[in-house]
Order: sequence, then structure tokens, then C-alpha cells
Amino acid sequence: MQTSRPVQILKDILATLIVIVFMFPIFWWSLSSIKPYTAIFNKDGPVYFDFQPTLQNYEVTLLGKSRIESNLESGGTSGAGGGSSYDSRETILQSIIVAVGSTILTIVLSTLASYALSRLPMRGKQHFLFWILSQRFMPPIAAVIPIMFMFRDMALLDTLTGLIIAHTLINIPIAVLLLKSFLDDVPKEIDEAAMIDGATRLQTFRRIILPMIKGGVAATAVLCFIVSWTEFLLSLYLTTSIRTLPVKISTFVTSTGTEWGFITALGTSAIVPSFIFILLVQRHLVRGLTLGSLKD
Amino acid sequence: MTQGTAVIATGRAGVTRMPRWLTSEHPFPWLAPLAAMLAVFGLYPLIYAFVLSFQQRNRIKRVDEFVGLKNWIQLVNDDRVWNALSVTLTYAFVAIVIELALGLLIALLLDQDRKGYGLMRALMTLPLVVPPAVTGMMFLLLEDGSFGWLSQNLYMTGLLSPEHPILATGSTALMGVLLADIWQWTPFMVLIMMAGLRSLPKEPYEAAAIDGANAFQTFRRLTLPMLSRVMAVAVLIRGVDLFRIFDYIYVMTSGGPGTATESLSAYAGRIFMTGNFPYAATLSLMTMIVVIIIANLFVRLFKVRF
Repeated sequence: MQTSRPVQILKDILATLIVIVFMFPIFWWSLSSIKPYTAIFNKDGPVYFDFQPTLQNYEVTLLGKSRIESNLESGGTSGAGGGSSYDSRETILQSIIVAVGSTILTIVLSTLASYALSRLPMRGKQHFLFWILSQRFMPPIAAVIPIMFMFRDMALLDTLTGLIIAHTLINIPIAVLLLKSFLDDVPKEIDEAAMIDGATRLQTFRRIILPMIKGGVAATAVLCFIVSWTEFLLSLYLTTSIRTLPVKISTFVTSTGTEWGFITALGTSAIVPSFIFILLVQRHLVRGLTLGSLKD
Repeated sequence: MTQGTAVIATGRAGVTRMPRWLTSEHPFPWLAPLAAMLAVFGLYPLIYAFVLSFQQRNRIKRVDEFVGLKNWIQLVNDDRVWNALSVTLTYAFVAIVIELALGLLIALLLDQDRKGYGLMRALMTLPLVVPPAVTGMMFLLLEDGSFGWLSQNLYMTGLLSPEHPILATGSTALMGVLLADIWQWTPFMVLIMMAGLRSLPKEPYEAAAIDGANAFQTFRRLTLPMLSRVMAVAVLIRGVDLFRIFDYIYVMTSGGPGTATESLSAYAGRIFMTGNFPYAATLSLMTMIVVIIIANLFVRLFKVRF
């Protein structure tokens, strides 16, 4: 279809506007993270660029500077108190351990399983797939109560291992279905050829098939990492002293006031890794988001 | 490789054979680790939750007692459950409709091979990976009653009065939460619709052009029907997530004001915090059963394949 020039220009403008609207919340959020206290809480109207930028919020949350110290340096006096609980270095480390741990565990379990589901004849395969898919449909709140009791008995409650297991449970259905779709793209004749040459199934899988789908495995791993990194409900209810980033951020909302400076600073730090990762897997994003049922 | 599997593959006699179901020819060893994990941490807790839903805590004896269907009957008679169901359904319906429509529109707009469009498409994927709890906070900051950017602008244009902050007013609170959902998940629809548009065959369009169909007719009679499968997948996946909506509500309103934004998951979460675990388990099981039934009907009806 041919589009006339004025219409095309109109379309360009509209597209740009839409993207700007969608980017605005992120922009406003990260802008707030470098605002001093008074600019965030300005009741007379929004403050855009008319403020003295400060890294104080990042110093407190990421470098663990005490809040009072930081306030004195910047000449502020308000709201000094609390302090150490805003230091989020440990939280970041714990978030990384949980996300990496559950990604590795998921990928190991799921690549093996999805190979069998894609290649080997078995009875009840559809039922098994249905079971895995149902796991994806399960509301986390339904899982959290029994898992909490179970973890308490196994001494896994409020531990990194426990949270890794919980996140692996959410990641498994995504990973299995996604990896199966990548495996289904590889013709079965390749396996057969390798086995005629005397390789066992395991050898075929490890030496030939796995290298062929490594791009898919990487994309799956990235998605698993993001799912764990952004997960909220399970981390909220299964941990108390260990905190992942999203939960930690939500604790900055207190009855005495919401610490928007720290929230936005830590929030900005939390979304940067996600952004980098998502840009790396753009090509497989649609397939990943639809559990392998749509390919592009 | 183990001795046994090599033997099976070549079929050489005289060496001890492994049972077939332990070799890599059989699905068992491939599936066992994952199945064990799902059984222990997926299936067992589910059974536990079911057992729990027939029990009640005896505060004096400090044990869980069997009380039959009491929790389930209480559930059906609990007005807050019905309110939560209606909030959840309203929320899910509005979100799906707006996200689908906006998603399709933006996909049509951005699906062009012109300079800058690649960048715009990449930028549009960013909201997807913001942790939902952070998204909730983002919109909490924008919608704050006194210093929120959105609130202040709405006050200035007179569309909203400062006496009725978005999130603290019963009639607007749900819309306020929905805004976060729409921002985060419209890009999901955009991406899927874009993939759908790209996979469409060219021939019908050429035929339509020869027959002199206008742009609107082509869209309605060709594009929409051919996109229906893709839309079904998108609606299914989004619908399941919407039905268990929790994060935005927990962060932005905690279900308030009153119970105006209390979804099924949010209500279950509240019961959970009061320590009435059997009742919370019953409610979340009901949510799960409803989701699985609806999702499976949908999968069969629209023939979605995984």
C-alpha cells in the first residue's frame, strides 16, 4: 500500500509521540532519583530541570553511606534518621545470587527434559506437557502458603536456597516450553544421522544438538534471569531477612513517609540490568513471551 | 558416556546391560530430575493446600482440626470474595481490551522499514522488564495526591480536584492501578501483534488491492481474521497473568480505599497476613481452579498450541 507524504509524516509524528509517552514514566523516575528532597516533594507543580542534581540517593542505597553523613554534606537537615536500612548492597548481591542460581538450575533441568519431550517417543507426553503448562497458570499466591509450611519444615524458609527453588518453579514451565520449541526447529534427521554413526543419545545431545540451539538456550536463560530478578510475591512472603530488590524497594514505603529519593535511585539501578539483557534477546523475545507458541 | 549406554547402542553381547529405562534411549532419565523437582515443590504443596482447606486452627489446642467443607462454604458466603472476583474480572477485562486495541494500533504504526523505527521498536520493549513492583512505584510517584506529576497536571487542567486524589478515591483507584498495567503490558501486545503482522501472507493483500478494497476493508476482512490465532495466544497469556494480579495492587493501594481495588490475590494475601492459613489456602485454590478451567477452555476453543 502506498502512503502519501503528508500521511507518512503524520504517522512518523504519531509514532514518535507514542514512544515518548511510553518512555516518560521511566524518564521521570530516573530524573527523580537525582533530585534533592525538596524537588521531589514540590507541591506547587512538577520540577523538570530546575534543580541541583545530586547523587546522594545512590550513595546511600548503593554505597551504603549513612544518611545523616550524606545529608550534612549536601546541606540538608530534614528527615535524618534510620540510616543503615537503606543500604542495599547486600540486597543487590542476594538478588543476583537468587537470579543466577535459579537460572542455572532451571536451564539444567529444562534442557534435559525438553530434549526428551521433543525427541523421544513416550506415552502420556501431552499429559506431561499439560502438567508443566498448568504450573505456569498457577497463581503464585496459591503456591506460597503450602510452600511456606514445607520450607519451614525443611529449614528453607528465608534462605537463598529456598528462594532459588521457588523461582525455579516459576521458570520451569517457561524454559521447558521455550526450549522445546527451539529443539523442534532442529530436524530429527540430524539426531538419526549422528546415531547411525554410532553416537549414543546423550552424545548426540551434548555434542551435536546442544551446540545447535545454544542461541535459544542463551535467550531462555536471559528470560529466566529477568523473571527471577523482577519477581515479587514469592520473595515477599517466603523471606524476611533476605530481600530481593523489588521487595526491598517496597519496604521504603513507611508509615512515617515514603522515601522517594531512595526508592527511585534503587529502582533505577534495578531496571538497568533488565534493560541491557532485554536488548540482547530482542530477536527471540516474542517466542519467549508466548512460551514458544509464536515464532518470529 | 557410561559403559552401559554404549553397550546398548552397539548391541554387543557379553557385558552387563543396564535396564533400558535407565539408558538415554528412554525418556525417564531425561525427565526424572525435572519431574522430581515439580513433584516435590509443585505437586506436594498443592495437595497440602487442599488438605489445609478442609482444616481450621484450634487456638486452644493449637492444632489444625478437620472441619469438612467449612472453609469452602465460608468462601461462597464471603462478600469480600465476590467483591474481589468482580474487581479481578473488571480489571482483567478492561486491561485486555485496552492493551489489545492499543497494541494492535501501535504495532501497525511501528511496523515500518523507515529510519528510526528500529530504535522505537526496541524502546517500546523496555517497560516489559521493569519489575512490576517498581512499575507500581513509578505510577504511585506519578499519581501521588500532592506532588505526583500526573495529579498536578490533572489538577491544573481542572480534570481532577485535589480533594479526590486518584488512588484514594474509590471510583478512580482501580483506573489508577490499571494505568500501570496498561503501560507495562501494552508493549507485550505490540510485540506479539508485530510478529503476527510480519507472518501474514502477501497474496491475499495483492488480490484485495486488485479488487479495489480500501485500507479499512482490507484491515477488517483480511488482517483481523488472519491475526486471530496470534491474538488468542496473547489474550490467553495475558489473561492468566491478569487473573492473579497482585504486585501493582499491593504496592499502590494494598487493595484500598476500602476494598475498591482488592483482587482475589490481594485478598488472599491479606488473609495470609492475618495468619488464617487454611482460609487463605481455600481462596487461592479457588482462584487457581478458576484460572485453570478458563485457560484450558480457551486453549481448546482457540486451538492454541504449545
